[in-house]
Amino acid sequence: MSEQLPAPDFDAQNYARPNQNWICGRACDGNACRPGPDAKGRCRATAECKPILELKPGETKGRWKCTRTGGACEAGPLPDGSCCRPIPKCSPVPTLRWWRGRLTLAVIALSCAVLLVVLGNPPWRNHFISPGEISQPHSGSQFLALAATNHLNQGCGACHVAGNTGPHGMMHAALHANPGILDLKKLAAAHAATPTVIDESCLKCHTGRNVHQPSALPVSCAFCHLEHQGKMMAAPTDENCNFCHGDATKMAAAASAGNVPLPVVHHFADDHPQFRFLTDKLRDPDTLKFNHLLHLTGTTIPKLPGGEKLDCAFCHQPDAAGTFMKPVAFEKNCRVCHSLQFDPETPQLMLPHGNVDFISAYLRSLPKQYADLAAKENPADVNGFVTAKLAGLRTQFGSGEDLERRVFFSTATFGPEAQVGDLSGATRALFPGCAYCHEVKAAAAGSPQITHPVQTEHWLTQAKFNHAKHLNIACAQCHDAVHSKDTADILLPPRETCVTCHSPRGGVADTCAECHSYHKPLMAAR
Amino acid sequence: MTRFRRQLYLGLFALLAATAGALWLNAKYSTLANYAFLTGWALLAGMFILTIYNVRKKLPFLPLGKSETWLQIHIYLGFFTTLLFLIHLKFRLPHGWFEITLAWLFVLVSGSGMVGLFFSRVLPRRLATRGGEVIFEKIPAVRHAAKTAAEELALGKDAKSPVIAEFYAKRLAGFFSGPKHFWLHLAESRRAASALIAELEDLRRFAAEADREKIEKLAGLVRQKDGLDYHRALQLALKLWLFVHIPLTYGLMIFTLLHIVLVFGFSGGAR
Repeated sequence: MSEQLPAPDFDAQNYARPNQNWICGRACDGNACRPGPDAKGRCRATAECKPILELKPGETKGRWKCTRTGGACEAGPLPDGSCCRPIPKCSPVPTLRWWRGRLTLAVIALSCAVLLVVLGNPPWRNHFISPGEISQPHSGSQFLALAATNHLNQGCGACHVAGNTGPHGMMHAALHANPGILDLKKLAAAHAATPTVIDESCLKCHTGRNVHQPSALPVSCAFCHLEHQGKMMAAPTDENCNFCHGDATKMAAAASAGNVPLPVVHHFADDHPQFRFLTDKLRDPDTLKFNHLLHLTGTTIPKLPGGEKLDCAFCHQPDAAGTFMKPVAFEKNCRVCHSLQFDPETPQLMLPHGNVDFISAYLRSLPKQYADLAAKENPADVNGFVTAKLAGLRTQFGSGEDLERRVFFSTATFGPEAQVGDLSGATRALFPGCAYCHEVKAAAAGSPQITHPVQTEHWLTQAKFNHAKHLNIACAQCHDAVHSKDTADILLPPRETCVTCHSPRGGVADTCAECHSYHKPLMAAR
Repeated sequence: MTRFRRQLYLGLFALLAATAGALWLNAKYSTLANYAFLTGWALLAGMFILTIYNVRKKLPFLPLGKSETWLQIHIYLGFFTTLLFLIHLKFRLPHGWFEITLAWLFVLVSGSGMVGLFFSRVLPRRLATRGGEVIFEKIPAVRHAAKTAAEELALGKDAKSPVIAEFYAKRLAGFFSGPKHFWLHLAESRRAASALIAELEDLRRFAAEADREKIEKLAGLVRQKDGLDYHRALQLALKLWLFVHIPLTYGLMIFTLLHIVLVFGFSGGAR
């Protein structure tokens, strides 16, 4: 208490009252009155003195006496006992402290008023409390129509229980939240991906949501798909995937539940396993015999009709979306060189492709084919032309059965057509036989069987890939075709080749979601 | 080592340790499910302790510890709470009208607090270097006395110089009429008063011998008034930052309470 006593030289007469709300209106003139204003800012000045009544023995009325400090005044008190020298009242001035208090009250009142007005007006409320722009799929007229179809509320209420309920409903929802407002222990222990009430709203539209493993942990939609982040909903992060795939315990539990055992993975560049087609030493099951090395570097490969050298792009053309490559087709990509000219003396005749019966029928109708050709080229002597051609065939191949057998089964390792390419590189390859490219089996019934080539469209079935995004990279940088002689070679790059770019060092996105999709393997481009 | 320095070093060490600890915890636990809830509660606790410092000042009779200690805690906790605020925001900018308003309120409150701390460390030293001490509440009375004296010199019964009277009416009457040059004084500029003194010196040089003494007295009064304005400007700055800091603190607390309601009401509880 001693600290609160005034200093010895404290001038009580001129105390400035900085801690009070009001000061005397004459303080600025240096004439502040001693008592100062009261707590409500009213001047307390009255008169220079407060007369007292003196009563002498025997007197009944008495006499008023001046009590002014510094001596009685000349006029003395008035007959009614009041001082004859009243002090004019001042207008007390509020201190800075008073102004600050009023400003504080004004800010409190303004804050409450603004919040009440805004929260009481649904359109304003939704706009005001939204923590960010909603993604395009969850906003706009289409979503509203979909929400109406699925019996969802409009606006915030489509997803949030408290969305359209006003201040009272918000308070009710907050007080009944689980974990509760002050349930810190439960909040801290909560499972990061635990589904919430909001998921029920999601599932009203997203029915049949499928996870990539049947026994995967139930995960809240919002764990990966954060709303209110802008028009485009952000892709899931590696942290989302690592919740399970980065946790050895969870992965072991998943494997023991019957899922495919997978290693723990955190980042593609660090610990992502090698692609399975390499670890499992998969081979392309296609029976077509194709030699990439020969076609890309062989000296016997003729120039294309336009004079260009054969390259990857001639056969491997992107599909309409540019995502994957269209299957290689004989008519479009092969016939330009492999024209199936079975009779070197008559290059105008070419075997049909694609059906064994058609080929057999064509060979058995050769007199008619030669006759049709003669009608165009030598109409004066059709019979002579046909006879000469058939005689030439018999000389070269023997009987018709011999010709047919050679067409189907020859691999160019025997017979006059062993040379299938032209050393000068100017003409088309001669036709050695179907078996040169295809697997041809002798069927018991007589006609041969040609195994239909199967072109595997996608080897990495659990991943997404888009060729259109990789156009600035040469094909050979990923596909080592110039060293492949065997169709069974799978010409996809190893993980390390991808990591060259898709890594923090390479500077290209390397998140899990770049290639994988949680809900199901996506073959389409992103 | 003085007590002030000991307190300063102790406070800084505590702040640095708390900052390092908070950043370490943030790096380790930021992937927790309800991390934002936990940082939010920590932030609210910090804000609450900061706010009740004002209440503590209103209750000096309660044995709640020394106000000086509370101020030290208020300063260092204020800095730490700013870090908690950034952690709570995940070091990203907020979105949406409400959250942006809330964030701005926090920025203004903490920013004004830092400005106030800067003022309270710098301005008292500047005040001590000029013009002695004068209580802020008494400055108007002293200024009034100076004005009265100047008027008496220039326009009083004994004033016989029309030159001085004219100079006073044109140049000094406005200067003495009230506080002047707030921003110039804050910027430590004496340009305005120096200009007046220079004009008075010019006047004195060509004035009659009898008027020179009055002009010198007037110059002295101009210097006194300028000193008063300097004190008023700096002392007012020491008080004005509270006009932002305290009112907005209550606005911030109101918005924060609504923020809690919205978070729990709209998150479905767990997220």
